[in-house]
Amino acid sequence: MNATIEKEVVIKTESDIVVARRAVREGASALGFGLTDTTRIVTAASELARNIIKYAVEGTMVLHPLEDGTRTGIELTFVDHGPGIPDIAKAMKEGFSTSGGFGMGLPGAKRLMDEMDAQSAVGQGTTVTVRKWRRQ
Amino acid sequence: MSASSITVVKVRDVLLVAMPSDPDDSVITALQEQAMRSMDQHEAKALILDISAVETLDSFFARTISETAQMVSLMGGRTIIAGMRPAVAVTATQLGLPLKRVETALTVERALDMVSLGKRQGSAR
Repeated sequence: MNATIEKEVVIKTESDIVVARRAVREGASALGFGLTDTTRIVTAASELARNIIKYAVEGTMVLHPLEDGTRTGIELTFVDHGPGIPDIAKAMKEGFSTSGGFGMGLPGAKRLMDEMDAQSAVGQGTTVTVRKWRRQ
Repeated sequence: MSASSITVVKVRDVLLVAMPSDPDDSVITALQEQAMRSMDQHEAKALILDISAVETLDSFFARTISETAQMVSLMGGRTIIAGMRPAVAVTATQLGLPLKRVETALTVERALDMVSLGKRQGSAR
């Protein structure tokens, strides 16, 4: 039913962050998210897409609609084959950043979304999945 | 969206910049450079950033605004961001965006009033 919402964006340059944001804005609106939630989801996507550019040079974002019978949601998966994060649990906590920035990428995106899973292996890459459910 | 899309307009001794709705990093970086150059050229006393069109304010954008405000402050000027959308304000608060030294106003008109009256208000800290 939501096949047209499914989307993949290659993230290679800074302008791809804008492409990813637009795809997420369109997808979230099409799934019926309100303006505030759409802004949260797009902002989280912007942080996670920028993480790929900053740490891994290139990767992809896959946008996936969610249905679990009673709820509608959106899932965004960010995959890269960069250097990986040695302690992913620590990277998801407040105030931790390896790039000396504000350390907001992962914890910030987590706060804006309902769920976040992250897996990383040093030398192999990082996969971050975030989900948000539409309020009934 | 190219970097040349940023226009700095001088109104009396105030610099006014209208941000596009979805600027990429190069546009945001160009904003900082042009704002600093214009501050110097025009001996302006304030920089007003109209962000009423901005739909996404992420940590990179916020950090650049914050840095620019610090630079403007070192040059003796003030920076006011005007017209933040409600959804952007909600997201910025949850994200904990660093907007130090940046004053805020509901509209550009109010920001201009703040400058002409020499008032300081709505400072985001």
